Amino acid sequence: MSIDLGDKKMGEEKGGFEPKIVGFTCNWCTYAGADLAGTSRKKYPPNARLIRMMCTARFDPMFAFKALLNGADGVFISGCHPGECHYIKGNFYARRRIAAMRTILKQLGLDDRVKSYWISASEGEKFANTMKNITAEIKELGPNPMRDKIL
Amino acid sequence: MKGTELNYGDLEGVLKGLLENKVVDCLIMPRRVGNSVSYMLVRDKDKIATPESVIFAPSFGVNAANIVKGWMIAEKVGIVAKPCEIRAAIELIKLAQLNEDGVLLITVDCAGAFTNEVYAANYADIGDQVDSAKIKELAGKGISIRDACAICDNRLADVGDIAIAQAGGEKAIVAGLTEKGEEALSAAGLSLEDKDLDRAAEKEKIEAEAKKNLEELPKISSEEALGEFLRDCIVCKNCRDVCPVCYCKECFFDQPLGNPVGGDLLNLAEARGAIEVPTNQLLYHLTRVYHVSTTCVACGACEDACPKDIPLTRFYPVLAKKVQEVFEYVPGKDAKEPLPFTTYEEDELEECLR
Repeated sequence: MSIDLGDKKMGEEKGGFEPKIVGFTCNWCTYAGADLAGTSRKKYPPNARLIRMMCTARFDPMFAFKALLNGADGVFISGCHPGECHYIKGNFYARRRIAAMRTILKQLGLDDRVKSYWISASEGEKFANTMKNITAEIKELGPNPMRDKIL
Repeated sequence: MKGTELNYGDLEGVLKGLLENKVVDCLIMPRRVGNSVSYMLVRDKDKIATPESVIFAPSFGVNAANIVKGWMIAEKVGIVAKPCEIRAAIELIKLAQLNEDGVLLITVDCAGAFTNEVYAANYADIGDQVDSAKIKELAGKGISIRDACAICDNRLADVGDIAIAQAGGEKAIVAGLTEKGEEALSAAGLSLEDKDLDRAAEKEKIEAEAKKNLEELPKISSEEALGEFLRDCIVCKNCRDVCPVCYCKECFFDQPLGNPVGGDLLNLAEARGAIEVPTNQLLYHLTRVYHVSTTCVACGACEDACPKDIPLTRFYPVLAKKVQEVFEYVPGKDAKEPLPFTTYEEDELEECLR
């Protein structure tokens, strides 16, 4: 049995492309959902790196722009379902910002690498499935062309 | 709506009356400098001379709202400007960058404007004012209005407190659009009567033309196209400085994280092998377009200010319009309507997140 030494090794071993996905997740729902997926031993691909924020309202679209420009193959934002925010209305505001950001990215043809979901703390299964889906989708798209560019 | 029809020659008296009767403490209004047009801040009414020759002048230098950005003073400022500039001022009021009680917004009709350089160079052909027929005629001679004006669908004076509308010939209709505007006009010594300033047909025509021009504007639709479009950007941030609604006191891109130097820059280059310098070219524009996306009034000041002649109208106003469509928001249209990012509906936008 070999020990994984980060993506490059894993990718090389399998001879395929292993995307790097940055996930911005809310502390109360999606991050806890990821925890539940782990404690209930759900299997899902390890391509996403989660960044925990207290609320999706902390998400600034600049984070996504920066991740993409620095070569992340995918970015996703996930938090509590609308109406279930720990801070009552944080994700309502976040939803507006994400919609604006994705409208801009869509116009520029950059939107297919950005995803957004609502996953609650009790949805470990959904989290695992979402990770499977997003990894498969990004694999289909191939590596982010901006990764090797001088930007 | 209350207003009155005046001869062009009487406009001078109206503006002087505003200062004389202390309706406003100062006026920001256009003035003529040779063949060119610029803004002046007037406190002495005697400095106002023949405003009719210049307030309708199709010349765009700066956005007047950018001049008063961040002015939270007690004195009352009157601003005589084009609709896009007044709409920017209204957005600034909503953004708490301008004191609502401290401004009197006077909008003039606009048929589209030339950059002030083009206007000054072709003054003999263009003259003091233009209409859409004249603009077409000038375009035939190779003298074109700015792209931002070609795609503008808000050219009529229907925002702000007071409208100065062209009524054909040497006539203008001066009307109060708000109670504040009507009171100001009465205080300036005008006798007002009920006036109908409904120009729906004209507005429809302008909107159709603007839509057509917008569709004809080249699109930036891929990552490569964006890179190509911004290739010559030197990150001078002029587009930010002249933008009336880009208002942060301290811009992220002036801070160490947004504008890394020295060791920070070396570390970034280390991580990526090589980086473009001046750095953050794409991040700067993407972040800025998001920041102004709901409030951009599509005045095109960014394009005029770009020292590298990047046609930024294809980027900022065009993308912002798309975002504004999502929120069904027209910046500056209604001073009471909340900014899209400060409000929400419980059930909305899910289709945008797919």
